[in-house]
This record gives sequence, structure tokens and C-alpha cells, in this order.
Amino acid sequence: MSYLRVALARLAGLFAGPAADDDLRAELESHVEMETAENVRRGMPPGEARRQAMLVSGGLTQAADAVRDQRGLPWIESLGADIRYAARALHQSPGFTAVVVITLALGIGANTAIFSVVRGVLLKPLPHRDGEHLIYLRQSMGGPGGANISFSVPEIRDFREGVPSLGSIAEFSPWNLTLQGDEGVSRLNVGLVTGNYFEVLGLSAVRGRLTNSSDDGPGVAPVMVLTHEYWMKHFGGDPSIVGKPLKLDGTSVTVIGVVQAAPFFPGQVDALLNMVVSEHHLSAQMVEGRTHRMTEILARVAPGATVQQTRAEVAAVYARMQSADPASYDPGSHYGVAVLPYKEVLGERARLTLWLLMGAAAFVMIISAANVTNLTLMRGVHREHELVLRAALGAGVIRLRRLLLVENLLLTLLGATLGVLLAIGGVKLLTTLAERYSPRANEIRLDAVVLGFTVALAVTLALFLAFLASLPKEGTFATWISAGTRRISGGLRRQRLQRGLVVVQIAVSVMLLAGAGLLTRTMIQLSNVSTGLRTEQVLAMDVPLMTPSQMQAGADGDAKERYERMRREVGALPGVIEVGVGSNMPLQSSQVVLELKAEGKALAVGEAVPRAEYRTAGPDYFGAAGIPLLQGRPFSTTDRDGSGRVVIINQVLADRFFHGEDPIGKRIAWTGDVLRFTPFTGDWRTVVGVVGNTRDGGLDAEPLPVVFHPFAQELAFSGSLVIRADSNVAGLATGVTRVVRSIAPAALIENVLTVAQIKDQSVAPRRLNAALVSSFGILALIIAAVGIAGVLAFSVSARTTEIGIRMSLGADPGRVQRMILKEGGTLLATGLVLGVGGSVFAAKAIQGLLFGVAPHDPVTLMVVAMMMAAIGIGACWIPAARAARIDPAITTRAA
Amino acid sequence: MAHKLDVKQGTLALMILRTIEVLGPLHGYGIARRIEETSQNRLTLNYGTLYPALLKLEQEGFVKAEWRQSENNRRAKFYSLTAAGRKQLAREAREWHRTADLIAVFLAPKKEAP
Repeated sequence: MSYLRVALARLAGLFAGPAADDDLRAELESHVEMETAENVRRGMPPGEARRQAMLVSGGLTQAADAVRDQRGLPWIESLGADIRYAARALHQSPGFTAVVVITLALGIGANTAIFSVVRGVLLKPLPHRDGEHLIYLRQSMGGPGGANISFSVPEIRDFREGVPSLGSIAEFSPWNLTLQGDEGVSRLNVGLVTGNYFEVLGLSAVRGRLTNSSDDGPGVAPVMVLTHEYWMKHFGGDPSIVGKPLKLDGTSVTVIGVVQAAPFFPGQVDALLNMVVSEHHLSAQMVEGRTHRMTEILARVAPGATVQQTRAEVAAVYARMQSADPASYDPGSHYGVAVLPYKEVLGERARLTLWLLMGAAAFVMIISAANVTNLTLMRGVHREHELVLRAALGAGVIRLRRLLLVENLLLTLLGATLGVLLAIGGVKLLTTLAERYSPRANEIRLDAVVLGFTVALAVTLALFLAFLASLPKEGTFATWISAGTRRISGGLRRQRLQRGLVVVQIAVSVMLLAGAGLLTRTMIQLSNVSTGLRTEQVLAMDVPLMTPSQMQAGADGDAKERYERMRREVGALPGVIEVGVGSNMPLQSSQVVLELKAEGKALAVGEAVPRAEYRTAGPDYFGAAGIPLLQGRPFSTTDRDGSGRVVIINQVLADRFFHGEDPIGKRIAWTGDVLRFTPFTGDWRTVVGVVGNTRDGGLDAEPLPVVFHPFAQELAFSGSLVIRADSNVAGLATGVTRVVRSIAPAALIENVLTVAQIKDQSVAPRRLNAALVSSFGILALIIAAVGIAGVLAFSVSARTTEIGIRMSLGADPGRVQRMILKEGGTLLATGLVLGVGGSVFAAKAIQGLLFGVAPHDPVTLMVVAMMMAAIGIGACWIPAARAARIDPAITTRAA
Repeated sequence: MAHKLDVKQGTLALMILRTIEVLGPLHGYGIARRIEETSQNRLTLNYGTLYPALLKLEQEGFVKAEWRQSENNRRAKFYSLTAAGRKQLAREAREWHRTADLIAVFLAPKKEAP
């Protein structure tokens, strides 16, 4: 009611302008005139009458002020004055302002950028309806390649029946298809899903409809739902695509809708289709085979149930499954099921890296805040006198505190603004980093929450800085003023604070540098890992020729013939030395991992069933890829269909099976129940050669056991070319692609990469980590060096008189210099000790990101400590030298 | 000399409203005079109290102000009561009476216990 009215009137009063003041003056003047006239009427002489009238008014200026206060909002009006004053003060010390703003911008920018990534990838609620109830089940086993072996349909059936706390379970089977579009073929990564998939995940359609239970089972029409990302990228968000058929591996599949943007797991997909698209997914093999594991489980916790409850129930059901069918879960392989919240599992690969970067950024923030605090303290000492005078002249302590707050807010918000600009660039870079680790990378935004975080950071810092300066209590101005400008050293408490801050800066810098050093060494160690093959001048590409139906029929004659033509014709290109064909590219896994046995070798009780990767290779594959033959012979052209089945194994497998024996001539065979579901046979095969290990799972992963089969003797389920050239192999790519295209016009040609590039894919993320933390470390080092030099210089200028007296009493310049160096050295040494201690502790937390270097690596710590010491001493030298040049005659006189 | 009373903001507003109600549109000087007279000079109003109070009443919409010629041909700003001001005055006066009665009961001379 009237409060609102008054508030509005006062708000309007803010902009009343000079007219309102004129009006007020006239009104007061008329009052005085009437009073004067009255006094004259009572018999006073006119001069006296007016004087008396003025006297009772209580002062016109004061009255006008009182009215003005009622008219507008005095708080805001004086705030405007404070801002103007603060801006002027900052403008007068441009050096201070620039250093503070830049220091803060770096600290705030780094934090804002990284926090926006942490929030987007780890913290933000999922876009799924009730996303916190979503869970992901993961079956794993011990040994290589066992981290995620997914589930079979019978296993899922058991969970569906035995775990009441799982309200609903959706199936998702990763699959890929070839899309025949107008402009050639392309690969489509899809998920084959049960009709309830979208319902379980809590996703809605942005166009058309999603699948439901009517899309399950055999005999229904194949349908697909596009993901938002794929729809935007490939159809430009064209709504008319809904209802149209797409040609996938020769089958026509209707697009029924587009699902909202959301992260998919275990991998990003282009579309989701019903199971009927793959004949295999509805076959008895798939539906009844307990070991035929190719389906992921996504589920929703029933209302009222908890994840802990689900965990307990899943564990119980799983234990029953294992005891009911021990053959499918050999005890030596340590089968297990984990129940993981969906949000957690989406961030699992990014978590450690992101918290590392967030920690590093926080450290930079600590250092820059410490530096700004020190600068403010030093500046405050020089301004103290001015502030005390202003307080004594009527500004009042509260008003002064507010002035300081406004000034610091101006500084920190300026820093924050510049920081956000830096962050905008940083977020782009970090998003490319995050894409490697998380399907949520496209959710990274500099949104209101992130900006709120930035502003909160700036305001907190400003509050801290504003209350740092000591102001006199009301009524004690005189003592402060009489103390005068001598109080420049600013008291013991403040000096302690300054020194403490310098120690913190040095310690934190050491920790950051240690982290940077460890990550850099990790990267170097990683790039020095031998891949086991030639990385220079080798080009590779995937050219899958077989369609699923051809695969089913085992009809690979045509494909093999074309691979052979590619090999010959590419080999005839100028510059090409050797061309090999194999199931997959060097340094990349075939993903086909099966159980294996060796003739005459029984498994010990409780021993894990050996598993190895299945690959094929032509006679020239090893030569072209530069994989060394350690024993026996390479494949020859006589190892073909119909001839004796032979294999070449790698060193890891030879050691596993035939340790201390000659593996050549021994026989091995694929085994296990799962073989029924593959196109591969369990025939005995004779080992004819042993080749070196290659790092196919990434440079930081131990090599897997591998069995190579002659390309000509086995099904050509996939095919890759490996091309060795004499020079400029990257330049060959176009020529080779043209030849391959002419032989297989409708085929996919994927991953055209040199082996050096494939190797680099494993190193690149580590390089980015190392580069980011290193740049933070160098930044910290510079800020800390400036910090220690600044504090010492300040200390020297505060002690000028003291030093002058010492020198006139006989101290030589060398001694003075040593005194100052010692002062700095103490700070430096304390910081170094704390920093090295902290590093050992902090490095444990990032152990998972290190490779080939211990978290307490003494070499790294020593180098870092020496580097910090050298730079620190350098920084101390400048003020120390200045102290030594002090002229006692001048300083003692000035005092 | 009698002790002079300070005027409280709320009371002053009531006095101003009542003064204008009784005398009709009036300038600040007139209001001050009238209040001082009515209080038999127990109250003095300086400008720094009176004018902010008038402005506040204006902001609240209880009075409105306009420049006019005064009785002796001087230009002065005259304040007059608005309808809302009239209502507010009635309400305030009622409240005030009620409070005064209440306080009077509390402060009445103690009766001896029977």
C-alpha cells in the first residue's frame, strides 16, 4: 500500500533533478520571508527580523538536506558518489589496478572456465525425467578386456524377475549399420532397444513419436528414432524427415521421431532402433544363450526404493544365477555386477581429470587472491592516513568501510568480467577435451549458475579485502592522526599476514609445478612407450565390405577378391613399398575376445580361463605394419582355405601358454559356450609363428594376448589396409582412397590415419592435461615471484631508516643485502618445505592420471623445488640489491 | 523555562493532517505556527523536521501541494488534504484515542485493596 507508493515516489525522486531543488529553495525562502515579516510586525528592525527568522529555521542547508534525504534514496545517491570516488582512486594508481585486475582475471577466468565444465559434465541434473533414479548395470570379469562384458538376454530376464526394486529395465544393444544416402554411404552407430527404452530413460520426443511396447518382438515394422544431435548434424533439424524411410544395410527403416538432446551410454549413438532390425537379436541364440552377452542394462529404481536396496537385490539374484549355472561363470574369472547411478557413470571417465583441473584452478585462485591481498595491504598502508583524515572530517567509519567495499568490488568485478571473457575462450578448448571423456560435453555452458559462481567469488574476495584494512574506531581519530605517516610498516600483525601469504603462494606454486611436472613426465613416458610396430610412414584405413546378411551366410568370396585387388592396385601406386590386409588396423583392437585353450594344457583349479583377441592378417600385414616376427615363419600365400589351419600368436600369449617352451608346432583352439554365437570355429590350429606385442588398447594399457589367423583362411568379417611407403605417407591418402573407391564404390572407408596419428590419439589427452596444468604452474610461479619480490621491496622501503642507521653504524652494503636475502630466504624455504610436503600428499590423489612415474617421484620434486628456489632467490635479489644501495646520509636526514 | 518536547514523526504527521483539516489549505509556515500555538509553545518545529514530514505525507498521497498567492500576496506552497489523507487522519485519530485511553487506564491512581 502506502509503502509501495513511498518507495516509488522516492525512486522517482532519485531522478528529480535541479527543478525539485529550486522548488524546495523557494519554499524554504518563502517560509523565512513570512517569519521575517511576522518579526517585523512584532517590531523588530528588518535586519534583526531576518536574522531571528534564520535562527529558528535550524539552518536552511540542513533542512534542505533533510528534505532531499526524504525525497530520494540517500543510500543510492551516496553509493553513486562512492563509485565515482573509487573509480577515480583506481584511475590514479593505474599500475596497482592493472596488476590486480589481470591477476584476478587469470584466477577467476581459469576457475570459471573449469567450473563450467565440471558443472556441465558432472554436477548438472540430467536432462532425463527424474534422472537421479536412473541406474546402469555393468557386468565385468577379471583379466584383459573384462571391464565391461555386458549382459545376455537370459541374465536380464533373471534380473527383471528377481529384483523388485528395479521398477523397469530397458535393453540397449550397441550395433552399427551402414546408411545408404544420396551422397554415398556412411556409418551409423545405433542402439537396438526394447520398446520401453525411452520410457525408462525418461526422455521425450521433440518430433514424431518414440518407440513403445508395440515395436517389440518379431513381425513388426523396423523403426528408428534419431538422436537430436544426429538429426541436427545430418538433416539440419528438418522436421519432414519424420515418416520417411532410410536405407540401412539394404533394409528400409522408417524414421518415427526425434528424441530430445541427451547423453547416451555406454556410447554416443546416432539413432535408436527396435530389435527387429537385426534378425540376430530375435534369434533363439540371442534370446536363450546365457553367455551371449551383447546387451546393456539401463533401469529405473522403483518409486520408494533406494540404490542400496537395488544393489543388495541384484547381488542376491546374481549369486543365485552363478550357482545355478557354474559353467557360464567360471570362478577363476571373477565375474561381478556393479549397480551405478547413471549420472555417476556418465562422468566416470572425466571425473578425475576434471577435479584435477578444478584443483589446479583453485590453486591459481588462491595464489592470485593472496597476491591481490598483499598488494591491497601495501596500498592500504599508504592510504591509511588519508582514510583516517576522511573519517575524522565526518565521513564516519561505516561510510569509509563502504567506500573500501565499493572500491574492492569495482576491482574484483572488473577482474571477473575480464576473467569471464578469458573463460569464454577457455570453455571452447576445454569442451574439446571433455568430449574425449564424457557424452555430456555438449551440455557445457557458461550459464547463470556458472556466472553466479563467478560473481560470488568476486564479491567474497571484495568483502575480504574491504575488511582487511584496519580503520580507527569512532572517536579515536586523534591518536591515529598524531601517529601520522610513520606507521608505514603497518604493524606486526599485518606483516605476519603478508609473510604468511607469501609462504602460501610459494607452497601452492610448488604443488602446482609438481603436478605439472608429474603430468609432463607421464606424457613423455607415454610417448616413449614402444608401440611394438613401425609408426613412421605407415598409413592405415578400415574398409569393411561385408554386410550382416553376407556375414550370416559366410559368403565372403567376393569381398576377399576385392581386398586382394585393393592390395595389388594400391601396392602399384608410386612410393608404396608394401601393402597388407588384415581384420583391423595396427594399434586398434578388433573387440573380438574369446576363450582359448592349448592342447595338452589343463587349467589349474580356480585358474581364469585364458582369453585372447581374434584377428586376421594377410602375408604382408606384419611387414607393412612393422610388427617384428620373433619366431617361426610369417603367413604365406599357401595358407589358404582348405590348407592346414595355422595361426601366429603374439609374445604375451606365447608366454602365457608356452612359457619356456618352443611354441612353434603347438596347437591351440578357440573354446567356450560363446563360440556358438560367432562365425568362428573351435578347430585345432597350429602355431607357426610368434610376433611382438603391440599396444592396441592405448599406450598405457598392457598388451592383450592376440591370435592372428591367415586372412585367406577365415571369414573376412572386417578388413583394413596397412600401407608402408618410402616418404610422405599422409600425402598418399587421397590416391589410395581413390583406388579403393574404384574397387568398392559402395563401401565405407573409415579411419584413414597414419600409425603415428593413431599413436598420438593415446598421448593427446595427456598432453592437454600436462599443458593445462603446466600453464597454471607457470602462471603460479610468475605470480608468486612477483609476490615475494613485492613484499620484500615493501619491507625494504619500510625499513629504509633502520637500514640507513645500520649502515651509518658500520654495516657494509653486502651485509645489508644478506640481511634482506635472509628475510626472503626464510619465507622461500618455509614455502618450499610446505609445498614439497603438500605435493607428495596431493599427487596421491591424481595417481590414476599418472603413467610410468610415481606420485612422489623424487626427480620431479627436486627439479620443481630447485626451479622455485632459483626463481625465488632471483625475486629476492632485486629488493636486496636496492637495500644495499641505500645511502645512509640521505635516509637518516629524511627521518 | 518549560521543558520543550521533541516531536515524534508519527505524531507530527497527525498534527499536520489535523491542522490542515481545521484550517484548510495552508503553507509550511502557517502549519508550523499553528502547531506551535496549539501546543502553547511547548513544541518548536525546525524546518529540518517539518519539511521532510510534509514531503513524506505528499509521497504517501495524504496531502497535495501547490504554489498559490498567500493572504498577504506572497507566493507560497500550500498543502491541502486529499481524500486518502482525510481517511488516514480519522484512522490515526481513532487509534490515538484508543491508545491514550488505554494508557490512561494503566496510569490511573492505584485503588486501595478492599
